[in-house]
Amino acid sequence: MEFLMSQSKYSLLKTLIVTLLAASSVNVSSAAESEREPFDDRYCTTCHGIDGIGNEGVQAPRLAGMEDWYLRRQLEGFRSGLRGRHPEDIEGLAMQPMAAKLTDESISDIVQWVGSWEYKPTEITLAGDADAGRTLYATCATCHGANGEGNEALGAPQLAGQNDWYLLTQLKNFKARFRGYQSGDTYGQQMMAMAQSLNSDQAMLNVVAYINTLFRD
Amino acid sequence: MSAPVTRREFLNLLGATGGTAAVLRAGTALGLLPGAAQAANLDLLNLAGNQRRVAILGGGISGLTVAYELEKMGYECTILESSARCGGRIFTVRSGDLIDEIGNRQYCEFDNESHMYFNAGAARIPSTHRTLLNYCKELGVELEVFINESKTCYVQDDAMLDGRPITNIEYTTHLKGFMGELLAKALTETELNEPFSEREAEALLNIVDSFGDLNEEHLYTGSLRAGYASDGFLKHGTQKDIIAFRDLLKTRLGRGLINANEGDTGPILLQPVGGMDKITEGFLRQVGHRVRYRAMVAGVEVTDDGVKVAYDQDGTRHILDVDYCFNCIPSHLMTGIPNNFPAEYVRALKYIRRGEAYKAAFQAKRRFWEEEDIYGGITWMNNPSRQIWYPTAGIHKEKGIVLGAYDYGGGMYHTLMTQQQRIEAHLADGEKVHSDYRNLVEKPITIAWHRMNHMLGCSARWSRNFGDGWTHEEEELYHTLQAPVNGRHYMIGDQVSQHSAWQESAVLSARWAMADLDQRVRSELA
Repeated sequence: MEFLMSQSKYSLLKTLIVTLLAASSVNVSSAAESEREPFDDRYCTTCHGIDGIGNEGVQAPRLAGMEDWYLRRQLEGFRSGLRGRHPEDIEGLAMQPMAAKLTDESISDIVQWVGSWEYKPTEITLAGDADAGRTLYATCATCHGANGEGNEALGAPQLAGQNDWYLLTQLKNFKARFRGYQSGDTYGQQMMAMAQSLNSDQAMLNVVAYINTLFRD
Repeated sequence: MSAPVTRREFLNLLGATGGTAAVLRAGTALGLLPGAAQAANLDLLNLAGNQRRVAILGGGISGLTVAYELEKMGYECTILESSARCGGRIFTVRSGDLIDEIGNRQYCEFDNESHMYFNAGAARIPSTHRTLLNYCKELGVELEVFINESKTCYVQDDAMLDGRPITNIEYTTHLKGFMGELLAKALTETELNEPFSEREAEALLNIVDSFGDLNEEHLYTGSLRAGYASDGFLKHGTQKDIIAFRDLLKTRLGRGLINANEGDTGPILLQPVGGMDKITEGFLRQVGHRVRYRAMVAGVEVTDDGVKVAYDQDGTRHILDVDYCFNCIPSHLMTGIPNNFPAEYVRALKYIRRGEAYKAAFQAKRRFWEEEDIYGGITWMNNPSRQIWYPTAGIHKEKGIVLGAYDYGGGMYHTLMTQQQRIEAHLADGEKVHSDYRNLVEKPITIAWHRMNHMLGCSARWSRNFGDGWTHEEEELYHTLQAPVNGRHYMIGDQVSQHSAWQESAVLSARWAMADLDQRVRSELA
């Protein structure tokens, strides 16, 4: 219900903008501009899937259920280039320019919009040794919680229910120092340091396999 | 036909489909799949008063083809188009148009004149693409010849002749001359008893002499075919200086130049007068009232007797209940839309990689190429911008639109740049051919298909190993995706063809699916 309401508010706003644009056509100099196709910044679902469920087809992770503080921090990080600038961070490079032109208002609007989507655990697509992953996860649990539920006070996002292919890509990016290498990225730097303890791709896969067993309701 | 539905109801709807999914059948099991011939000669049954509702997801040319053909036969079609325009990768950019690249939106600032347009996607129609051409004829879309190769265009490579551009005709004439000389030597210096008879050898040598424009000793000493150095009308033309074979071999462009008018671009090429989207407009004159714009598909559920399609429009989620569904949403976006497709079908959707093609264009302040004897055609450059296309449209008018870059895939070089970096790259590349290029062009636009809203990719790439052809697994996945789910849901578009990136493939995929549908409907109504 709340979802429907936020959508209606949005459409009202859009109508208002279109009306304002139409009204400005009285001004001859902007007549051509009034005929221009309007746009907005609510394009997240093109990549991240309907209702933010995530889309493996374009390697864009689930947003539904993501904590508002984490989403805001990442959007701001992408906008400023703290994230998504490393030439080897392929998916980050795709996201960075999409956030680069967002205003504070747009970010708040997006965070609110994403907040209207219900948490829905993602499909499990990777197989690893979850038992081996459990041992390795003990380190992760310090910040991300024993059930992968996240911890706002420590700035650590929820991991449970996130797309496993996304988690694996990010672990690899942290490990290879494609993410979290910039001095202004405090939390990213912490995670980059922690990821160094995972010695192989298999170890990362095992951790992800264990996260796949955590809280998914 | 459509009613608002709450998000909760929608989720329940999708959640309750476990039982249905189990009985979803692939079309192959029914033994009804039509052949390619039936797609070419579509002979649909008129419903004659029987009702059938059809949802068409995406207003690309395959979706429009379905709407056009099925409406004629009495089907009730609804096209859901997520953006504000139909046509998909048929995208003609004109004055004021929005180029909706996520993170890099642009409005086109070209002068507002009928010839000042840029075909940012589909741009050429080979004369062998007869299904598409028939639609152009049927829909009253006026066509003209597209000038794909003009030998007066240039070839430029920093590695050749210190980067000095030479004309295509110079390059290819000399190349053929030297290649002819080599071939002639092989023919004259070896025993010709085998594999040729003396007569055959003579005939072949004759052709080789002509191929290379060789002299009586079968040597290449330059040719007037390369264009005159001076005169040529009131006085005899004088021959241009020869360019050494070694120099010609310094560029790798020869490979593309020698077959530029073969294969897909071998037939005469055509284009609609005024822009490729005249084809879209032709379809929309017939079925435009069936399109719902800014209607984003939010879920697809195939049931035993139909398809339920959820979509968002005007801030509300609606459900469209239909008998059949034709879906030309790009496969990589469909994977982000809830559905109850069989696992193997989803696997096929996920397998396809999205194309990375990129184009850029400038408005030229004057038609400087015409001053250099160029009317249409393509200049080839060995740099990331790759090509400059001179427009066929608007000959001898004041201004024109030139294509400043066409990277037809295999790299994200320009896509990863900022708009300013992209433009500077094309200016720097272009001025190697036209020294005053930077001052002659203005109002740039760039189209990175990988980042376009509602698209996120150019033509589908099925084969992982382009050179080796399709693997058996790829063939299997392709046939899985081509067959309908439960006889109700069809994926269409050039993505469901083995020759993507052409409108003909999209149109034929739609007709193939309709031929399949037709057999099912015929047996139902029999």
